[in-house]
Amino acid sequence: MTFLKKLLEFSGIHPERLRTRWVSSAEAVEFVHEVSEFVEEIKKLGPNPLKAKKKEAA
Amino acid sequence: MGQKIKEHVQKLLTEGKIKGFLGLREENSDIMPHLFCDPKKLDHLSLGDWKKAGDARYPLNQLMIRLTMEHPEETLAVLVRGCDERGLKELFKWKQLNEEKIVLIGMGCPDELAKACECEKPFPDSLIDGPKGEKADNQKVARVEAMDLDTRLQFWKAEFDRCIKCFGCRNVCPMCFCNECSLEEDQLVGTGEIPPANPTFHLARAIHMVGRCIDCGLCEEACPADIPLRTLYKKMTEIISKEFGYKTGFSVDEKSPFNMIEVK
Repeated sequence: MTFLKKLLEFSGIHPERLRTRWVSSAEAVEFVHEVSEFVEEIKKLGPNPLKAKKKEAA
Repeated sequence: MGQKIKEHVQKLLTEGKIKGFLGLREENSDIMPHLFCDPKKLDHLSLGDWKKAGDARYPLNQLMIRLTMEHPEETLAVLVRGCDERGLKELFKWKQLNEEKIVLIGMGCPDELAKACECEKPFPDSLIDGPKGEKADNQKVARVEAMDLDTRLQFWKAEFDRCIKCFGCRNVCPMCFCNECSLEEDQLVGTGEIPPANPTFHLARAIHMVGRCIDCGLCEEACPADIPLRTLYKKMTEIISKEFGYKTGFSVDEKSPFNMIEVK
């Protein structure tokens, strides 16, 4: 994961778009919390610049 | 420089220490890999310099793998530059080649080539002839790091858009030996798309180069679209060095963090 984050950053993609967190199947509440928080973070970062590219190509 | 190496190879062949020497042969202005087996027929032995140093290079390590598969009992010698030796050290650890059956014939790279490659170490430990060049400054990676995130994305997007998925980079790579290549997996990189999934194709290859890439530069030379692949893979080598303290191709027994599984 270290590599992927740094590679993404080197390639111009915000490293915070990648998140890894180990959650056990018994930790349902933590999972929901983690995902919700991540969704908020992503919304703040805005749409992925790669997405815009695909629309152009189409 | 060719003379010292020629004499050394001649000696090894005459004394029967090696069955053959995998080097380069020059004939009619063409330079190509050749297995020299006769000590009396070394006239066309070349070190791969045509118009300038290192402009006729081949993934000799890759050819060695094929040769040793066909002749596992024979001891063979191979021409190595600094990068080739790094490759061999890794291939030994990845169990792709048997170090007891391979003799390294080392040549040092001239300054001009070492600088163009920004080589970490432009000469092998097993040096027969050639200079012990100095480590060259790394500017290719620094140039990208100087860009901000958005500029970087534009930069790489433009570079990867030229890719025609010829697989030249992977095919020529002396460190690529997987029987099943992830890049051909439709679920990862959709087949039938040109350019291939941008940036998935190239980032996937970059991740696979971690702890493997020996910075020989053959990929970038092979690329028909002039994509600065080396810059990407050099960055990966930098990360594994900084984060894991692992320098690809420098140790004969320390394995890469990705090579921890013992296969018996």
